[in-house]
Amino acid sequence: MNLEECKSVFAVTVLGLTLVAAFPTVSMVLPFPSGGERFSELWLLGPDHMAEGYPFNVRGGEVQGPIYVGVSNHMGSSEYYVVYVKFRNQTQPLPNATASEPSPLLPLYEFQFFLADGETWETPLFFTVEDVLFQDDTVSTSRISINDVVSSVNASTKWDSGYSGFYYQLFFELWLYSRDLQTFQFHDRFVGIWLNMTVF
Amino acid sequence: MSSLRVIAALFVLYAFVSSVFVLGTMALDVEDVALSAIEGAELAVDLAFEAVLEAEGAGANVSGLLDELNDGAEALSKAYISNRVGNFDDAVYFADLCGDLVGSVEAEANELRDVAVVDRNHRLLLSTLGSVLALVCIFYGGFFGWRFFKSRYHRRVLQMKPEVASNES
Repeated sequence: MNLEECKSVFAVTVLGLTLVAAFPTVSMVLPFPSGGERFSELWLLGPDHMAEGYPFNVRGGEVQGPIYVGVSNHMGSSEYYVVYVKFRNQTQPLPNATASEPSPLLPLYEFQFFLADGETWETPLFFTVEDVLFQDDTVSTSRISINDVVSSVNASTKWDSGYSGFYYQLFFELWLYSRDLQTFQFHDRFVGIWLNMTVF
Repeated sequence: MSSLRVIAALFVLYAFVSSVFVLGTMALDVEDVALSAIEGAELAVDLAFEAVLEAEGAGANVSGLLDELNDGAEALSKAYISNRVGNFDDAVYFADLCGDLVGSVEAEANELRDVAVVDRNHRLLLSTLGSVLALVCIFYGGFFGWRFFKSRYHRRVLQMKPEVASNES
């Protein structure tokens, strides 16, 4: 190795050591973007904390559950969430996640909570469909109890000959607090379970 | 006699109508009070959350504050639910409870943020001093190291003995 080559190796070594020495200070002053996609998870689990065994055949007045609603925060900072619980028949509208539109139905129950980045929240939920009335090919219900809070609903559903049942859906919408708008916005996520109303 | 009856009938009618009116007005008042209490609680939670986010951005550990906020958020949820099902007294109770639970969070978050900012500035100062010291060492070390290496290199080159290579071709 001649002197010029040694000089190059020496210069590169000094430059590398300079960068190493300056990095801690530079990293405190300059904000480095954190990599990765920012998102939230919403899930629903059955009584055994598995994605199975959800309540399906439901009789009026019978307590159902627990089912577990969970949310996980991967947004890069602490977030403020609300989960709205809604109830619909087959003709009432679901949320449109691709258009960021929540269901226009009023919530029957809600959970508000704060989550640090990387943390999860989960809560059990019990529900009872009350005042169920079977009439010919129609079932109607006027009340539903969620975690012992009774709400009025006015939903009737017709016999679904394709799936042989009277179907309702209990679904959960995830909303996120927007700091810019200072209000909650639909976070494009929802999950739900189908309920088949039965007499026996 | 008949005029007395008419007056009595009018009195009964007035009493009935006014009671309905008063009860309706009272119900509206209670609903307004509940809504106002919920709005107050909402604002308190929003302000507390903003303060917590600032503290978190400054590098403070806000897990304790998030626990306190969660207690408030749970009460606020109950206030909304009670209001929705027409239980306005409970709505007011839970909204007030929420306000009490998150009332101190904003001040605590501001304190944590200030401590975090001071701590961060302290760490930045130490880091800067360390980096400057390290850079000075690297440059001086590099300069003198290179001079030492160069002189040693030249000495070694000058001490080399020329060799005569035989041309055997």
